[in-house]
Formats: sequence, C-alpha cells, structure tokens
Amino acid sequence: MIKGLYSAVSAMVMNATRQQAISHNIANIQTPGFKQVLTTVQGFMQDQPVYTSGNLQSTIIEYVGNLGLGSQIGQEYVDYGQGAMQKTDNPLDLAFQGNGFFTVQTPDGNRYTRDGRFLRDAENNLVTVDGYQVLDDAGQPIQLPDGEISVAYDGAITVNGEAVATLGIGVFADPAAELQHTEGNLFTGPAASTGDEVPQVVQGVLESSNANPSQLMTQLVEVGRSYEAAQKLVQNQDELLGKTIASLGRIG
Amino acid sequence: MASSLFQTLNISRQDIISHLLDLDVTSSNLANVNTAGYKTTRSNFQEMLNEQMKEGTLLRSTQAITTQGTIRTSTNSLDWAIQGEGYFSVTLPDGTIGYTRDGQFALDADLNLVNASGYPLVWDGTIEEGMTNISVSSTGVVTATDAEGVTAEVGTVQLTRFPNPGGLTDNGNNILLESDISGVAQTGDPGSENFGTLSGYHVENSNIDLAQEMTHLITLQRALSMSLRAFQQTDTMIAEAINLRKA
Repeated sequence: MIKGLYSAVSAMVMNATRQQAISHNIANIQTPGFKQVLTTVQGFMQDQPVYTSGNLQSTIIEYVGNLGLGSQIGQEYVDYGQGAMQKTDNPLDLAFQGNGFFTVQTPDGNRYTRDGRFLRDAENNLVTVDGYQVLDDAGQPIQLPDGEISVAYDGAITVNGEAVATLGIGVFADPAAELQHTEGNLFTGPAASTGDEVPQVVQGVLESSNANPSQLMTQLVEVGRSYEAAQKLVQNQDELLGKTIASLGRIG
Repeated sequence: MASSLFQTLNISRQDIISHLLDLDVTSSNLANVNTAGYKTTRSNFQEMLNEQMKEGTLLRSTQAITTQGTIRTSTNSLDWAIQGEGYFSVTLPDGTIGYTRDGQFALDADLNLVNASGYPLVWDGTIEEGMTNISVSSTGVVTATDAEGVTAEVGTVQLTRFPNPGGLTDNGNNILLESDISGVAQTGDPGSENFGTLSGYHVENSNIDLAQEMTHLITLQRALSMSLRAFQQTDTMIAEAINLRKA
C-alpha cells in the first residue's frame, strides 16, 4: 500500500518536469532557430513481490511476477527537425535549408546555432542578436566592409560584389548524438563537421521555431490530466490506508 | 532532475511579459504605416537556458529593419526621398543632431528648410527672400529660382550613414539618434559610394508591410493565449498538490 502511494507520487513529479519542458517550448514558439526539447518517460524500479503461505512452518516462497514502482523522467532530447521558413527580406537574416549550423564565438568557446538573425555591429563585425561574433570557414570572425551584403547558397558573403568571407558551416551526421544544448539556442559539438551533406544558406529568410502549437497543446492536456489522475490516486491510496488503520484488526 | 512548478510558473510569466512588450512594438508599427521614412521594428526573442535549467524566453532586443521603403510621387518640390542608404541630419532644439529618412521639408518664416516638427535641416547653403522652385538633384545639389527668374545653385545637402543603422536610438517624432550600437556617423554626398541618391517631388513610404504586421499580430495573440493556458494549468497543478491530503 505504501508502495502504491509512492508510485502515484512519482507520476506527479514526472508530470511536473514534463510541464516545465512544455512551458519552455511554448515560450520559445517565436524564437527563430529554436529546436524543441522533448522529454521521455520510463518506468521506475521494479519490485518482485513474493507469496508465502500463512503457515509459519512453510518454506514455500513464490515469486508472483513484477510490480512497477512508478514512473520517472527519462532522457531529454532535442528535436533537430527543420522549422518553417519565414521571409523577412532583411539582408542579414539567414537560414539553412537542410542540415547545417552557423558557427559563432562565445566567451565560453565556439558554438553552433540555427538562429540566423545576424547584425552588423558598430565595428562592422558580423554578430548574432546576442552580440556573439559569427565565424568564417577558417574559424575567424567576419569583418564586413561598407556596402550591400549578399550571401550565396554556399555561404559565400560578398559586399558590393566583392568576396569577403565564407560562413563557417557545421554539418553533423547525427546532431542528436553529437551536439549538446547548452546556452539559449546554442549547441556545443565536435570542432569539425562530421557530415557530408551540403546545406543551402538562404538570405532574407529566418527559420521559425520547430515547436508545433497543436502538438504542444495536446501534450499540455495530456500532462494536466495525467497529473490530476495521479493526484486522485494518491488520495485513494491515502483513504485506503486510513481505512486499514482504522478498521483492520477491529473485533466485533 | 527535479523541477519546481513555481519555476515553471515563472517561465510562463516571463513569456507573457515578453509577448506584451512585443504587442507594444507591433502596435507602434501599425500606427506608423503611413509615416514617411519610418522603419519597422522587430522584437528579437531568445531562448533562456542556464546550466540545463529551462527558463523560457526573453525579449533580448528590438531591432529596426532598415530596408528601403517604396517611393511615391508628390506635388511638393521640397519632398525629398532617399533611394538607398543614408539619413538627413536635422538640428534638434537642444542643439544635438538627429537623423531622419523623412524628407518632407518646408520653408519657415526665417527661410530655413525645416522638417514637419520645425527642426532645421543641416545643409550647406541659404535660401534668399523671394526664391521659388527650390529643388534638389540626385547628388544633393539644391537649386532655386530667384525673384528675377534666374535659376542657380544655392547649396548642397549631404547624407549620413551608419555601420549599423538598425541600432540607432529612436527619439520619437521620426527622429533617430547616434548610439554606441549604431556606430560612428559617416557623412557623404548623395550618389557617392554606399550613399543613396535623392529625388525631389518624392516621399519614401514606411517599409511596414500591413499584411505581415497583421499576421504577426495573430501569431502573437495565439502565442500569448498558449502561454496563458500553460500558466493556468501550472497553477491548477500546484493547487492539486496542495490539496493532496483530503480534508
């Protein structure tokens, strides 16, 4: 009976964690390049209840199968699926069509991102909205001369028709295994590409968040009801426990 | 990793605040659809993630999108539109220089070229009493016809550009100010390298796309109601946890 109580509570704890991930995805539905975080649920430990006869002299011990002791949150993973493309016509908004990541320099080291909201800063560096410098294919920050910027499909940047640099593009054969989600919208991973796909860079376009509203709302309902059911279960267990204490062993 | 429902409540709270700010930005864009030379502003949301701790979103910055607006013709020779990069400079009442793409000028009582707010245009030249037909060439040469009917050059107008024009500070009244983010002002003749050209009898429309702004308003509203749903549900979950022990 106590086991059942803890099982039910474990489902509440698990759903509270899922609720956090869903709220995070909902909050970032308008963050370009955002990749939704998915949670998994798995069974908690298993117990093996045994049957023994009431006879104290008996040595018969029978296993009666497995008893789950509730659920727990499993591995969290990032969904690297492509988000919808949104046209902005801003020359420094870039997006990837296909598997690819921009390389940016942060105080903590190089990071990969799908968020192509770039700016020219006061010193003519190409930077992200967070102010991190965007790196070229040699791992160097990109300096832009004055003039009109155009970016080709292969990431080659030209200003007023003259070649300036080529964007450093990371391509990973299995992003889910090779990349890690660290700071907001940024990922760490291997120093060099491991994939051989050739993604296309599109100018004047942003990749929207890949969180899907209808999926999120369904998950929200699922989590809400599941939490509620677990709470009812805790109350039932408590009630049963109360009855046991109060009435079991009462004679007459 | 354990997570607190109160932390989740805070994710949605932060999200709702960000969306309300974005609503202000979008309203301002919609209100300026017909403001000459006005540039649309975009809200830049960014994911907040700290040491694997999910913290939702943050409105990191707002950014003016400085693409060219469409040009319309007018009947006023003092309506000067910029085609390409650059800003007109005007002197604000406190003496600082403000920058604007709105080139609808007029002559005031003291024969100064002023914008709609009465701020004088910074240019090299003077207009004499009785001059008419003041016009500008594509390279910024201002000509006028004097009382005797002779048309002659009376001065020149220069344009100012910035490395990052999207980072100029909005001073209201369609006036922008230089900032640390915009970079240092560079002045040059219209039509020279990296500077736009001028055309009289023309006005630059705002670059706001009404359809795009309305679409943004719809997505914004839906995103806001989703955050509210999540907030309410987290609240319900907290209440359920509190009521675990039946009375």
